[in-house]
Formats: sequence, structure tokens, C-alpha cells
Amino acid sequence: MKFLRLIVRNALRNKLRTGLTVGGTAFLMFVLLFIRTALTEMEAWEGEAAKHDRIAIQHSSGLANPLPIELENFLRGDEVSKHGYQLQKMNWFGGWWQDPRNWFANLAVDHPIHRELWNEQKIPDDVQARWAEVKSGAIVGKALADKFGWKVNQKISLLSNLYPCVPELDIVGLFTVPSDIRQEQQLYFRWDYLDELMGGRKIVGTYWMNARSSADIPKLKEIIDGHTKNSSDPTETVTEKEFAAQFMAMMGNIKFFVYFIVVGVLAIMTLMTANTVAMSARERVTEIAVLRTLGFTKGRILYLVMAEGLLLSLVGMVIPLGGALLLFNVWKLSPNPQWFPFFFIAPGTIALAVGAALASGLLAAVVPATMSARRKIVDGLRQVV
Amino acid sequence: MSDAVVRIQGVAKVYQRDSQAVPVLENIDLEVAPGESVAMMGPSGSGKTTLLNLIAGIDRPTRGSVEVAGRALAGMSERELAKFRARHIGFIFQLYNLIPVLTAFENVELPLLLTSLSKADRRKHVMTALDVVGLTDRVAHYPRQLSGGQEQRVAIARAIVTDPTILLADEPTGDLDKRSEEEVLILLKRLNREFKKAIVMVTHDPKAAAMASRTVHLEKGELVPA
Repeated sequence: MKFLRLIVRNALRNKLRTGLTVGGTAFLMFVLLFIRTALTEMEAWEGEAAKHDRIAIQHSSGLANPLPIELENFLRGDEVSKHGYQLQKMNWFGGWWQDPRNWFANLAVDHPIHRELWNEQKIPDDVQARWAEVKSGAIVGKALADKFGWKVNQKISLLSNLYPCVPELDIVGLFTVPSDIRQEQQLYFRWDYLDELMGGRKIVGTYWMNARSSADIPKLKEIIDGHTKNSSDPTETVTEKEFAAQFMAMMGNIKFFVYFIVVGVLAIMTLMTANTVAMSARERVTEIAVLRTLGFTKGRILYLVMAEGLLLSLVGMVIPLGGALLLFNVWKLSPNPQWFPFFFIAPGTIALAVGAALASGLLAAVVPATMSARRKIVDGLRQVV
Repeated sequence: MSDAVVRIQGVAKVYQRDSQAVPVLENIDLEVAPGESVAMMGPSGSGKTTLLNLIAGIDRPTRGSVEVAGRALAGMSERELAKFRARHIGFIFQLYNLIPVLTAFENVELPLLLTSLSKADRRKHVMTALDVVGLTDRVAHYPRQLSGGQEQRVAIARAIVTDPTILLADEPTGDLDKRSEEEVLILLKRLNREFKKAIVMVTHDPKAAAMASRTVHLEKGELVPA
């Protein structure tokens, strides 16, 4: 700490250059935080889904194709029941409230089994009971209700491009998901109500069920997909994690591009800081030689120059991190509320930012620091800069 | 002179410039007694600064031995030499070489940062050194806010703040006007006479040499009679 003053003063020696470097680093760090958070949010369901033994039975041609209602009887039969239970029909309604910008996840489900199958959703008994009573009833995640200012017993209607009907829903209660608040951005209403609105056409988007254990999942896939293999509606049975991963896959090899950008951002950050530290050290060749004449060891010089690089890098990290935490975690803003109802800078992302800043600062300073420390004192004293 | 502060025996220094060997010093023998002040004179390129650098332990001889404060410098590692310089050598440069981003106080404090002294003790030492050079009213001034003479006096304060065994000065008045030159020479004389500091000073200036108790002459890398 005795040398902090010297390190800071040296870093601030050329204020414009340091300011531009820190500003550039801060901007790139903000980009890194933003991209990483976007990716984390997109992957969140995949991570959460891996904790459960739920499976989805979907049409092998894709989610846009419905499954036959007759399949339900087979899925409730003995052969499947030995390995799976809590069967539920689920349709993605894809609707919005009042304005297409108010788009959110809304699904029609078999309500009697919902609470047991999706047991991470905490649905109070009285809410479950009312849902059973009210055919147009809907349960809403607390975060979603807070977002739109919905209250229990309020009537809302949904519009959708996927279904030619307008469900008039009565909010019968709220649910919470303590393990993952993102899941509170959903609304569930009754499948039988949607079917009634659709004139009893018995459209089923997907079937969901719980495997009795993770060991039963391959068997379920084999039985179900084997049964439908030669039918007009062959199925593809997937785990919840695989189901979630499909959405990421729809975006192409987005992970690769995201990580490519992250690596590029880190490289530019490092080069920018390296350039500044190298220029600064180059301008101080004589001063460094003077310090060594006074008794500063090579190691001490190495430390001083490295610390300077680290300081620039850390300041360039703290500013955008503080800003991002304020914007997204405190004020709860989102760059795109539809895609990212929540946009939290996760602890892992903070750790990544700190680690990246440390690595970038050290990497940027290592060459100029080593060169400064290694230069002969007499050569340094002779140098005219 | 068995208790010599500096003992140089048979020292030669040859620099390698590309494939050319350039001899700078040849067969130098020199002793400096405690409390003695020695002026080294000679034309440019005669090897004065090189000899001073060898005494300071910032360069190594090609041949011969250099002993300072009773210690042979040849066997010391870079790290040991750095510690040795911090403890025994006070160096004064022609161009002062203060750190421009630090105040006079902070510049003088620099060598003390390498010691285990407390902040309060460091402050006491720095103020004493600045008092000796008559600059206690300039503690918060940056080098750019000082005259050349004042800068050199700050540099002298930095050189003496650790109470070194010997002061080495490389043309300490070479960049000063007449008045500042006199002030610095009076100061160096005082350090030698009053504080008994051994001084080796490289100079072209006969006035500066007159302040020393002995003058040695270098020509083409060899000590020659005056």
C-alpha cells in the first residue's frame, strides 16, 4: 500500500490517454457483461430443467404440429405408467395482453395435475381449489402479476396469432417459484377451457409427464416413440432439459458466436491496456532507472508496472459493473422485456468480469513490466525520452 | 587506508558495441577515505561517469574489484546490490531526475518506502532532510513548480534521507545557473564537513572541484597525475 500513491499518480500521468483507455475498457466490459447476462438468461431454463425428471412428448416434425388426443389413452396405459406418471396436456397459446408488446408465456394445461407435476411452483391450496371451480380461471406468476399490475379476481383477455379465439380469463390466484423467479413470468389457464373455445377440436401441443426416476427416461422414450413410430403422428420424447435446449438451438449456434465475441472483447481490452501501459513505461525509462538506482529491485519495478496495468483494468471493470448492477439488478431494467423479463447480472457473471479484468490487466502489463525491470540501469539513465 | 569507504583495484571496463570492444576504463586504482570528498575531472568520454556507476553498483567492471563500505560488489546478486544501494549509496544526478508526479516531500520519501520505517518516522526523516537543504517550505511543491537549484536540493535531500555511507554526484552543478551552483556546492561542502559524508563527485567545473578535499583526473580511461 506504500506504493499505491506512486502507482495511481503514474496511471494518471497522462489523463487523456488513461481516460480513453479506461473508457474504452469500461465500454467493452459493459458489452461483455451484457452478452454474458443475455446468454445466462437464455440458458437459465436449461439449467433449471436439468434438476427434474420431467419429459415432454412432442411431434417429431416440431412443436408447430399438434399431437392426437388418442395418444393420451396410450400414455395413461399400464406400459407407460410403469415408468411415468402425472400426465399433462399443454398447449403454448403464445398470446399477449392488450398490446403485442405485452407478450409473455401463457399456456393452456390440464389443471388437476399441474401443481404436482410442476412442484417447484408454489400454488396455495385455496388457489388450486378455485382453479378447479372456475373453468376460465388462470393462475399467474407473482412477478408477472406485479409487472402488469394484475390483481386476483381481475378479468383479462388474451390475443394470439396461433389460436382463433380470445380467452376471457379470471385470475384465480398467484403462484411463486422461490427456486427461480424467472418462472414467475408465466400464466396458466385450463386446457379444457381452450378446447371449449376451439369448438372441442382436442388440439394437444405437447404431453408432459414425470418419469418415476431418471433411469426410467430412456425406457419411456423407447416405449412412446416406438409406439408412434409408424403412425401419421410420430413423436419425439425428450427430457425437459432437451426441450429447453431446442429453443437455444433455434437461434443457431448462438453460443459459439457469443463466446467468440466475448473472447474478442477480452482480447481488445487487453491490447488497449497493454498499449497504454507500454507507452507509459516507455516514457518512464529514465525514471525507472532512477528508482533502481535508489534501491528498487527488479521485482519491485515489475510489481509497480503490473499494478498500474491492473489498476487501469480494474477501474475499467468497476465502472460498468457498478452501472450494470444499478440498471439491471437494482432498478430491474431489461433491454427487452419480452425476451428477457429478468435481466440479472448473476454472481457468476460478476466473477467472470472480475476475473477477466484481473487477467486482462496482468496480461497487458506483463511484457512492458518485464522489459522495464530487465533494462540495465545505465542504459535507462542514458536514455533520452 | 584499511577503512576506506571505496576501494577500487585494477578495474577495467570494456563496452561491447556490436562487434566492437570499446575500452572505457583501464587499470584503475582508487581509494576514498571516510569523510573524504573526491572530485573526478576529465574530458568527456574519459570514463568518469562509468567509474561513478561502478562505485554505485549500477554497473559491473569487466576486470578488477570494487569495494564499497567494506563490501565487495562483484559477488552480489542484483537483488543484493539493490539493497546495498538503498542502504549505502546516495546518488545525485546532473538533471536531478525527480519523479514529476510526486511532490518534493514524496520524492524525498521514495528511498524510505523501501525500509520498514513507520509513516511517522518516514515523515520525520524527510522533514529533517528537507531542513538540511533548506526546503521545508516547498514540501508540497511538484518538481515543475521548483527552480533548477531547488530541484537539485530536493534531489540531494533524497540522496541523504537514508543517511547513506557515501554520496555519489554526477555533475551535480552541470545544469544550474551560477547562483544555484553556489548554493548546491555550499550544501555539498556542508554535508562533507559538518555531516562527515564521503563524497565522490564527477565534475567539469573547477569551482566544484575546489570544494573537494582531493581531485583525481581521468583521461582516456586512466587515472593520470594532475
